[in-house]
Amino acid sequence: MKFILNTGRSITQGRHVEHKFHRGYSEETSTCFIHPLDLLDLDMEEGEHVEVTSECGSVVLRTVNCEDLRRGMIFVPMGPFANHIIPSHTHSTGMPDFKSIPVELEYTDAERSTQWDLMEKIGGQRYEKM
Amino acid sequence: MKKCDVICPFCGCLCDDLEITVEDNRILGVDNGCTLANAKFMGKERLTSPIRRTDGGWEDINYDEAIRYTVDMLLDADRPLLYGWSGTHGEAQCIGVHMCELVGGIIDSTTSVCHGPSILAIQEVGHPGCTLGQVKNRADVVIYWGCNPLEAHPRHMSRYTTYADGYFLDNAFRDRTVVVVDVRETETARVADEFVRIKQGGDYAVLSALRAIVRGKGDMIPPSVAGVPRSQLERIVRMCKDAKFGAVFFGLGLTMTKGKYKNIRNAIELVDELSRHTKFTITPMRGHWNVYGSNEVFTWMTGYPYAIDFCRGIAFYNPGETSAIDILARKECDACMIIGSDPGAHFPRKCVEHLADIPTVVIDPVPTMTTAMANVQIPVAVSGIDAEGTAYRMDGVPFRVKKVIEPTLPSDTEVLGDMFARMKEAKGL
Ligand code: SF4
Repeated sequence: MKFILNTGRSITQGRHVEHKFHRGYSEETSTCFIHPLDLLDLDMEEGEHVEVTSECGSVVLRTVNCEDLRRGMIFVPMGPFANHIIPSHTHSTGMPDFKSIPVELEYTDAERSTQWDLMEKIGGQRYEKM
Repeated sequence: MKKCDVICPFCGCLCDDLEITVEDNRILGVDNGCTLANAKFMGKERLTSPIRRTDGGWEDINYDEAIRYTVDMLLDADRPLLYGWSGTHGEAQCIGVHMCELVGGIIDSTTSVCHGPSILAIQEVGHPGCTLGQVKNRADVVIYWGCNPLEAHPRHMSRYTTYADGYFLDNAFRDRTVVVVDVRETETARVADEFVRIKQGGDYAVLSALRAIVRGKGDMIPPSVAGVPRSQLERIVRMCKDAKFGAVFFGLGLTMTKGKYKNIRNAIELVDELSRHTKFTITPMRGHWNVYGSNEVFTWMTGYPYAIDFCRGIAFYNPGETSAIDILARKECDACMIIGSDPGAHFPRKCVEHLADIPTVVIDPVPTMTTAMANVQIPVAVSGIDAEGTAYRMDGVPFRVKKVIEPTLPSDTEVLGDMFARMKEAKGL
């Protein structure tokens, strides 16, 4: 099913800004907030995982019901998970489209990655001494 | 011991009324701060020594080695990018500009991924702004557009708007009308007097419709604009025209969506239009505590507020070409120094990938997602906790952030100052 991905600040994400190696940061930024009726249309229950695919990749997120959203829109707190699938073009303004990316959602039984897994996938090296 | 009137170095509100309890050079408690301030002051997971990436792990190195590595990296590079700067104080930003000029690199702050489009609009049509003190004491209509202060600037409403007492308002809470315009019904929207829910990407159309109504051309407006009924738009215009003093605050909901800087230009022009009837102002909700400072410092030193390229030997500015996202996405830079920000978490994947391919140094007190992409990370004292310097609040008012404990690590200014001295020496200057 097609959706529009919106990203932004959440207070839990904000609390972890300087504690990004914590599990709580990974949990929060890999959450896909979605309208309960949209979840119903996907034939899924809250807490199940979705694969979210944009023109430049896909990522596995956990669903959470959220009636604040209009139907057809998902919200993912800003962080490495959302940015895994956000295209880098800026229409010559310097600013990518962080708030209106067309995506496709599909049920998956795959596990979510951790924030460090994602960084290692693109050539990084985890730092877990804390 | 309690330290009073401490400034919080987290968001652009720069609240200056925190009380910090300190015992034996350790912070034991934070009063008056929001949950974000608490997390920052009470954070205990700082790096204690510079680290260098090895094959499959990390090793501790000393400051001399780490600084030498960075200096060599910057001097060897053809097109170095010096990015971040919003999480450090003005004095360090100054040294950054000098370093960048010396190596002919590109310097950019997190502005390019937050209110860069707002600056582009301001350069086109100007900025009818004011200080937050004016808003607090005078504003009887407050509009939050595309922002969610209760989560991103948690004390904005209690210090400056909804819940703040105002000198010229008898009962500020009752006398102030708060309007929230957003695509989501956020926490902030729920405490507003009026919530305007627009369809994603409909901001430009709604702003244009409001301008038309203010100009008396409301009959041209269709019954619904981007999901907002015309009757609600007319009500809001009446409310604004009746206001004694109106204040618009806007966030990334306007700068990051379709239209980008054209949305902001339209919002500024709406404020201009309303100011023909009453007094209206507009202020961007700046995120990082000193992102505004980076624009001030860069502007007074180079003439431009962000995305400045020194490769021609003079300052050149063209966001979309010289901004960090574009430089990284085009794989144009061949070295990167990052200070006071975390592009690893907040840049699109393609940009972060390039950081892994080039030598990268991170200057940051804590491990972040960018640590994973770094060759070397240099921990520093935290401005506002164990380092001091100048910061600019979201309305452009400068503050001196103080330290509350004695540092055990060098500050950004010391580390950058050392690097700059060695670079000058290497260049025979
Ligand atoms: S609102 Fe911002 S500046 Fe004020 S205490 Fe909270 S995080 Fe700090």
